[in-house]
Amino acid sequence: MSRESSVRRTASVLTVLTAAVSLAACGSLGGGTSEDEDDGDGVITFWHYYGDAHGVPLQAMLDKYSDESGVEVEARFIPFDDFNRTLQQAAAAGTLPDIALINAFDTTQMAEAGIIEDLTPYAEEWGEQDAYYETGWESGQVDGATYAIPHLADVYALYYNEDVLAEADVEVPETWDELEAAATKITQSDAAPNGLAMSGIEGAEGATGVLLRTLAAGGDLADFGGEAGVAALESMQRMTESGGLSEGFLTWNEDDAMAAFTNGEAGMAINSASAINVIRESAPDLAWSVAPLPEDVTEATFLSAENLTIGAGSGDADAAWDLIEWMQQPSELEEYLPARNKLPARDDVPGAVTDPERATFADQLVNAWAPNGDMAARSNEALTLVQQALQSVISGAASPTDAAADTQAAIDEAMGS
Amino acid sequence: MTAAAPVHVEIPPGLARPGRRGRRARRLLAPALFVLPAVVFVGATVVYPLLYSVLQSFFDVGLREVVQGGARWAGLDNYVDQFGRSRFWYSFFISIVYAAGSVVLTFAAGLGLALLLRRAFRGRNVLRALILIAWVLPTVVSANVWRWLLDGSYGLLNAALRAVGLLEGDLFWLGRPVTAIAAVVVATAWSFAPFAMILLSAGLEGISRTLYEAARIDGASPWQQFRYITRPQLRPVALAALLLIFIYTFKTFDTIFLMTAGGPGGATTTLPVYAYNEAFEFSRFDTAAVATTVLMVVPIVLSVAYFRTLRKENA
Repeated sequence: MSRESSVRRTASVLTVLTAAVSLAACGSLGGGTSEDEDDGDGVITFWHYYGDAHGVPLQAMLDKYSDESGVEVEARFIPFDDFNRTLQQAAAAGTLPDIALINAFDTTQMAEAGIIEDLTPYAEEWGEQDAYYETGWESGQVDGATYAIPHLADVYALYYNEDVLAEADVEVPETWDELEAAATKITQSDAAPNGLAMSGIEGAEGATGVLLRTLAAGGDLADFGGEAGVAALESMQRMTESGGLSEGFLTWNEDDAMAAFTNGEAGMAINSASAINVIRESAPDLAWSVAPLPEDVTEATFLSAENLTIGAGSGDADAAWDLIEWMQQPSELEEYLPARNKLPARDDVPGAVTDPERATFADQLVNAWAPNGDMAARSNEALTLVQQALQSVISGAASPTDAAADTQAAIDEAMGS
Repeated sequence: MTAAAPVHVEIPPGLARPGRRGRRARRLLAPALFVLPAVVFVGATVVYPLLYSVLQSFFDVGLREVVQGGARWAGLDNYVDQFGRSRFWYSFFISIVYAAGSVVLTFAAGLGLALLLRRAFRGRNVLRALILIAWVLPTVVSANVWRWLLDGSYGLLNAALRAVGLLEGDLFWLGRPVTAIAAVVVATAWSFAPFAMILLSAGLEGISRTLYEAARIDGASPWQQFRYITRPQLRPVALAALLLIFIYTFKTFDTIFLMTAGGPGGATTTLPVYAYNEAFEFSRFDTAAVATTVLMVVPIVLSVAYFRTLRKENA
């Protein structure tokens, strides 16, 4: 055997060995987890995705709890885009936090994956579920068990620039037809470059506007291919064609849309209550107000919420629950929510919605829609598909009817997977 | 002067001069030990994740299995499922369109720049350095710059087009399917053309100048010189460059994700974006693994074909 072939053979053996070790390491695919309970060291680890200014009121609240109870709370901020992935990795590694503040619509998925604890015994003993708005409370229920407690809520409403509407001589719209007409008139009268601003960006975030229109038309995410979904897509198409809604909304996220409104480049905007403080701080001289979302067949808005959960295998579950319970006291929420710029998830916190703008949002909480059941677990995908339908229609790649039908087929496929 | 007494030294067994077999074993072992760190490194950082990913495509892996383990063996079910979905093939088609467009544009721009910079002129080195900036620039910067340039309302491109009277109103380049795919192709070619230029410049430097001198003496025009000397002489390097550009663009994720996130309406959802969505948006890690396996197989097949061609030519 030549020297070269010997070396080659040795290298091959090493490679095969490496591969074998790799495969052996693969073992049964996936992680292995949560049997490793944490040590129950009495320190409550608390993961959240409230960055910058949003994190300040939360940290103040946690500090207050530590001062009062003497329990150390270790908060960790993880950016929203990385939050679920980090939580999943922590679950696979058995290093979950004691408390995770998650997007409400991820609750089902997290519960089914075994990432969060069943809180039913705690919740039943606590007995305050009746204080919560039904849609929000339902977002924490999975197969009849309580896996999450609503932390706060938010809904969408219509912001309008009073000066722009006066200049264009339009009234605050109360129906979607009036909204379309008002948006067109604002643009055509040059009162503002855009009649309406909202997010239409790629992904679930950009589906909010078309979903709100679908809900108002009596539809739902699960039956988007029906008349309501087609009507919603046609409405968006009409508004972009008339110039009332810039085609550029397909590249806007919610912050971009609010920036356009705050800068006076849009006469109206659809957004959540989170934007209230932003406008007050960045455009103190702007004459603006908020109206409930326009109606069509029905009056509906979309719930945006966050839930408090306990990580699977937490060794400090009792202490974590004590903190959750403390955070949900109306007296604490009254102090926290206005600073956090959000709405209460329960209806016994009147002090959190004393200003008229915030009250307009709070009044809509009873009409708030949220995905539930199997749709909750697949809502991110379904909303992404709805946004793609919107893009197809606006770009002229598909008619509203075809886009809605294709989306329905894709949603059905996703729900079946 | 007395003669030194002979000294008998006992050599420990380990230091004894090895026999023929021992010498041979050591000769074979030494190179293997030298490559061992590299093999371990590549095994841990390339082979293991790669095999894991391929293996994952044969299991039923959702979020629950990632967290709790116990994935069920699915055989070829994931492949059958994905190969039966129009969205998968649409992404594959978009990937091919994007990669082909990027390869053609990158290669043409790289060759043009290489030919330009082969000529001696003042400021050549400065120009070469400036061109390389496009390649050195982090993708997150270049992709966002392109987004801004192509913005429908405030973008520089539209402002220029309006200034010369070619455009009225807004044109959202990234909001329409055809212009969006063209935009990501141009952005990719812009950032990768300098790399092609470097490869092709090296190839051009390898062509003997005497060939051009002889051709000029025989009265060959510049085009004839390019056609009959540059093109055939550059072929091996050009093929390697084309292959590398294809592999790079076929797996590109960042530029597209940052510019369009796969939109509008999925028009720029290439296989890497599709795989990302499947895994990290929709928690279907098994079907994402199918997409990444296909993503890996296509360049491998092309590479094998390339090396076979080379071997045939060298034979």
